[in-house]
Amino acid sequence: MFCYQCEQTYRSDEGAGCSGSKGMCGKDAATSDLQDVLLHVCEGIGQYLHRARALGATDVEADRFVLYAFFTTLTNVNFNAGKFVQLIAQAGEIKNRVKALYETAAAKAGKAPETLSGAATFIPAADMNGLLAQASEASVRKDAATLGEDVVGLRSLVLYGLKGVCAYAHHAEVLGEERDAIYEAVEHALDLLASEPKEIGPLLDEALALGRANFVAMEALDAANTGNFGTPEPTQVRMTPKKGKAVLVSGHDMKDLCAILEATKDKGINVYTHGELLPAHSYPKLKTYPHLAGNYGGAWQDQQKEFAEFPGPIVMTSNCLIEPQPRYRGRIFTAGPVGWPGIRHIDNGDFAIVAQAAAALPGFAEDAPEETVTIGFGRDTVLGVADKVIDAVKAGAIRHFFLVGGCDGAAPGRNYYTDFAEHAPKDTVVLTLGCGKYRFNRHDFGTIDGLPRLLDMGQCNDAYSALVVATKLAEAFGVGVNELPLSLIVSWFEQKAAAVLLTLLALGLRNVRLGPTLPAFLTPALVNVLVEKFGVLPITEAKADIEASLARAA
Amino acid sequence: MFNVNLVTRDGASIEFEADSTDTLLDAAAKANIFLPAVCREGGCGTCRVTRKAGIVSIGPYSKSALTDADRAAGDILLCRSKAYSDLQLSAPFDRAAVGFAPVPERGARVIDIAPAGAGAIRLALQYEDDPTHGRAAEFIPGQFMELKLPATSIARAYSLANTPNWDGTLEFLIRQHPQGAFSGYLRDSAKIGDLLLVKGPQGSFTADEASPSPRWFVAGGTGVAPMLSMLRQMVEFGMTQEARLIFGVNTEDELFATDAVKELSRSLPRLNVTLCVWQPGPNWTGFAGTPAEALAAALADGGARPDIYVCGPPALIEATEAIALAGSVSHDRIFSEQFSPA
Repeated sequence: MFCYQCEQTYRSDEGAGCSGSKGMCGKDAATSDLQDVLLHVCEGIGQYLHRARALGATDVEADRFVLYAFFTTLTNVNFNAGKFVQLIAQAGEIKNRVKALYETAAAKAGKAPETLSGAATFIPAADMNGLLAQASEASVRKDAATLGEDVVGLRSLVLYGLKGVCAYAHHAEVLGEERDAIYEAVEHALDLLASEPKEIGPLLDEALALGRANFVAMEALDAANTGNFGTPEPTQVRMTPKKGKAVLVSGHDMKDLCAILEATKDKGINVYTHGELLPAHSYPKLKTYPHLAGNYGGAWQDQQKEFAEFPGPIVMTSNCLIEPQPRYRGRIFTAGPVGWPGIRHIDNGDFAIVAQAAAALPGFAEDAPEETVTIGFGRDTVLGVADKVIDAVKAGAIRHFFLVGGCDGAAPGRNYYTDFAEHAPKDTVVLTLGCGKYRFNRHDFGTIDGLPRLLDMGQCNDAYSALVVATKLAEAFGVGVNELPLSLIVSWFEQKAAAVLLTLLALGLRNVRLGPTLPAFLTPALVNVLVEKFGVLPITEAKADIEASLARAA
Repeated sequence: MFNVNLVTRDGASIEFEADSTDTLLDAAAKANIFLPAVCREGGCGTCRVTRKAGIVSIGPYSKSALTDADRAAGDILLCRSKAYSDLQLSAPFDRAAVGFAPVPERGARVIDIAPAGAGAIRLALQYEDDPTHGRAAEFIPGQFMELKLPATSIARAYSLANTPNWDGTLEFLIRQHPQGAFSGYLRDSAKIGDLLLVKGPQGSFTADEASPSPRWFVAGGTGVAPMLSMLRQMVEFGMTQEARLIFGVNTEDELFATDAVKELSRSLPRLNVTLCVWQPGPNWTGFAGTPAEALAAALADGGARPDIYVCGPPALIEATEAIALAGSVSHDRIFSEQFSPA
């Protein structure tokens, strides 16, 4: 195996990347290699879909499969090697189908179909051992010795950015929102990767194209969430348990959460959100369920301790899963793209068994002292008080906005984000999104002219909401977004965040401070490109970066 | 004190301190680490691990629990071994089989007791609801429970035949022994509603879920119970892995659980079932011989080397291990659970 797609990838003097028998995330070598093979077969699918589309033929089922397949390969999603054998077989069948689609479309257009090579002609083996033997053909580091690290790194940036796009697009698709432009962009990226590009320019262009596609994906997901569940509104969420039977729902998938609320309603069972599902409490439709009781625990990296102490079933609807521990192994369920060997998977949306489990398990014996946080500051809420915000800025009451958002993780350097938020001057507003918020969302930030100083905008994909707000404020002030008194302080961990970063770059946002470390797949030369061309800034010390941000805006 | 490092089948590292006064099992327990064990007297082999480095002394044990070949391969019994240096151990079980709190004891009532055929009894219990555990039956297929008779000190370990569930049901297939104390209870006085004390789950005889290899289950008599549990979970989880069940008895009229096996065959398209009768009558059309002999024939057919799970009497375990090793199945891909008369 070789994998360096996430922030916690193994780093040493010899270089970066997880290899050997197991990655830092707990993914074993077989699973990692099978994921590479799956992605390779998907590239072949993309080659045919891309050409078929040019001839007016599409296969939306194949596109949906690609989104799902890519999502399974994100960090902390699916660790089940057996599942990947199945997916590869399915991918092989789909590739044959889209090949026929392309050839038929070419015949209809009176053109001879291209004779493709590479991934398009790759025939996956029928069993796991055979597939593992093929894995070297699909490795991200294939031909690294001849290509050089810059090309490999940039290919990786495209591949990992594509994973993020696919994940967001899948979330939107399951809620009924699809965009042809996303499928087109995904097919294009797959085709490019399959062509084994060796030039920096086209790869960089593709990365930015994926950034734009990710903006569309986030818009689609925003439309899916608000269309299905209403517009987020400011909401106080209980962060401590209540007495009674309990279910914990983690991940990002609000459709699954809604289905679990339905399956457990009127049964005396409380449903708690975990991690990136905290924003669900701000959606009107989900708030109508009185047994959506609160949020439990913190960010994903603490789950092994927190899940062990949770006295009910746990459902993991998307990333981030880490190895289920013995104390809760029997009562954790996976859904959607998530998987772990030996853990029960629910793939039909029927969560009745979760309700049964909750009824059978002890639940919380007593109420804990109540603690709350306030969430739900999506774009409509913030823009609803835009005049107040603008007045406060003009009057000098609000000097600056800091968007401190993204992923959390266990690395010690992530304390930077805690320090940053807590040391932001009293005349600044902190916007946050993603699970990085758990580092400071219980801190009392106070208010400015009645406006909360901490505005929780939602999940990582709600970067869309933040961008809409920034754009509208820029219009109101008659400046560009880069001229706003706004600094973006982004923490990344996995590939959704990589896609969001590409979106920020594609939209021309400069001076994004990125940390806690830079992606291992970005060579010094590539980092230099990001710094020189896009103004990306690696984080330093929180106080110094606050001062620098304020100085830049002054 | 010496440092003991035990690496589980799934790669977890567990550390504790030990010296030459305690067995490794007891030393681990002092550190609130409860390693799989049943008899604790060197008789069952449940606590067998492989010594990779370091010096131990090994007390008396049964050759059925640790054969000379096992010992030559570096295996030791935790319940009989004491540390005389730092130790590196490799365990054939996953971290999930290790407890970090004492094994729970809970009340469960008899909800069904019925002949299962051939002198075997199907005993079904249901947990009482309790504030600490609720009523869920949480275990890993392949594990066992110790059942304690009401108002006695008699306790016997039996493998579960069903899968983890939320109504608290525990199903056992129990071979009746004429002189067995627990058999006597089942035969003479057990009735619906009886309250038993259940200590568990215990044991490390569980499927290696991360292994890509085919799973072959070799069972003698009521040794089929944990196999049913593991196979039923494969059905519930929609697993498509290749599997084989080799289930043997002495005579045709001893065959039991055949309906359960047929149901598994219907539900698992890639399950191959071989029923073996050691001393068949003239009308028997299935495999004539022992499960170990059937295994030898199956291994001779070639194909990917499987993970082998064997449960039954000591002789079956020993024969299966010898045949599997001869058939190029590596030592660390053979998982065994032996039972003894109760």
